[in-house]
Amino acid sequence: CRASGDGKPAKFQPPPKPVIIDKQKQSVERRFLSPEFIPPRGRTDPLKYYMERKDMIQRRKVFNIPEFYVGSVLAVTIADPYANNKSNRFVGICIQRGGKGLGATFVLRNVIENQGVEICYELYSPRIQAIEVLKLEKRLDDNLMYLRDALPEYSTFDVNMKPVSRLDHEDIPVNKLQVRMKPKPWSKRWERPKYNIKGIKFELPESKMKEAQKWSQPWLEFDMLREYDTSKIEEKIWKEVNEGLKK
Amino acid sequence: MMPIWTKSGKKHAVTLLKVQDCHVLRYVSKEESGGKKAKLLVGGKNVSPFSKPESAHQIFKEAGVPRKQKVTTFNVTDDAIIKPGTPLYAAHFRPGQFVDVTAKTIGKGFQGVMKRWGFKGQPASHGQTKTHRRPGAISTNKASKVYRGKKMPGKMGNIYRTSFGLKVWRINTIHDIIYVNGSVPGHTNCLVKVRDSKLPTCKEYNKNPPFPTFFADGDEKLPEDLFDEDIFQFTDPSVTY
Repeated sequence: CRASGDGKPAKFQPPPKPVIIDKQKQSVERRFLSPEFIPPRGRTDPLKYYMERKDMIQRRKVFNIPEFYVGSVLAVTIADPYANNKSNRFVGICIQRGGKGLGATFVLRNVIENQGVEICYELYSPRIQAIEVLKLEKRLDDNLMYLRDALPEYSTFDVNMKPVSRLDHEDIPVNKLQVRMKPKPWSKRWERPKYNIKGIKFELPESKMKEAQKWSQPWLEFDMLREYDTSKIEEKIWKEVNEGLKK
Repeated sequence: MMPIWTKSGKKHAVTLLKVQDCHVLRYVSKEESGGKKAKLLVGGKNVSPFSKPESAHQIFKEAGVPRKQKVTTFNVTDDAIIKPGTPLYAAHFRPGQFVDVTAKTIGKGFQGVMKRWGFKGQPASHGQTKTHRRPGAISTNKASKVYRGKKMPGKMGNIYRTSFGLKVWRINTIHDIIYVNGSVPGHTNCLVKVRDSKLPTCKEYNKNPPFPTFFADGDEKLPEDLFDEDIFQFTDPSVTY
């Protein structure tokens, strides 16, 4: 092209801009609907759950309740009339999320000065001033109550821990940690199949594990009356919640 | 039942009651009823007219109203008479009022003396022969009879009971829902009778209600939600001390 020029210096053509195809964005966007929005199976009028959801959305507009799972480390500040600065901060791992609707709760566990402490907070209580997620991750189980019988090192978290940074579009990491337990007796017989725990490294003899399988109920997973398909309900509630939060 | 928080951060449990198609059906004057006060018959929830004979529809046809599932009476003073056929709404009550709620309790069927009356029963071991949940002695030797009304096994529940002095925390005018403090007799979605409280301690809280009732086609335009002053509304920021 220079050979056919007029003799004047050729105008600078900048190189073509590279087109970046973000393959991660093409995948399905991750949706998170907090579990307390999904109504339980029962004979209550859906109007009651609708009224509760309106209140929950209203509270979420004013106060940010972040996404978190059982196994993530949270820091919660609540208003306390008897504390020095009238507020109280507690850091801990979330071991259980219970309740539906406005009464939804979550239990945080930590070991402070060799004393295990568990505090149950209500998500929608007006006394809560801030909830920060220090480490967002999932564990192999939905319920980490067995940490009470595990070695205390698995429940200790630094009170002044810095929040762990993570990218928005990444999947939630699943921590496949297998926890080591204190010697038996435990508060519950965690080896039994009813609890279906995958996050414990059982160091019990084979005979004990086999004996625990006597209490297994293999017909439960085929019981059709226990099925509760929440996919369609979740879709509707997801749309409702999103529209409510946008207004 | 739902939690509700006050401005000081305390939590109270609250029952939601829906006012569903309530109409005044008939006015019974003092002399007609033979009592001390006039009565108003009020009907609740609409229901199909085909399951009852035509004779049962008399009251509803006079008031011009579809057949109702339940008809109750309210004793009213002469200045609170309402014309039959007027609809009644949840805004008849206001937050801060106190209310008595009557309903049929959950039926438990034929029950033994331990569940029905809270008797202690007998020990499980130490030689008891076939006697663990029985009433034991039913009277004394001197009486030589069993008194009337002796607590014994029988059908439990499915009778009308009232919870007195329940505070009204919030009223939703669009869906006609009353948020009432505490628990209420009856199963979920059962029919319930809500009345101004007759407790002497609640007299001063029940002054200035909408009298004789709240008329929807009147001049008053109410907001969607009426809250009590102590309630924490979710539009406010978190509570601080």
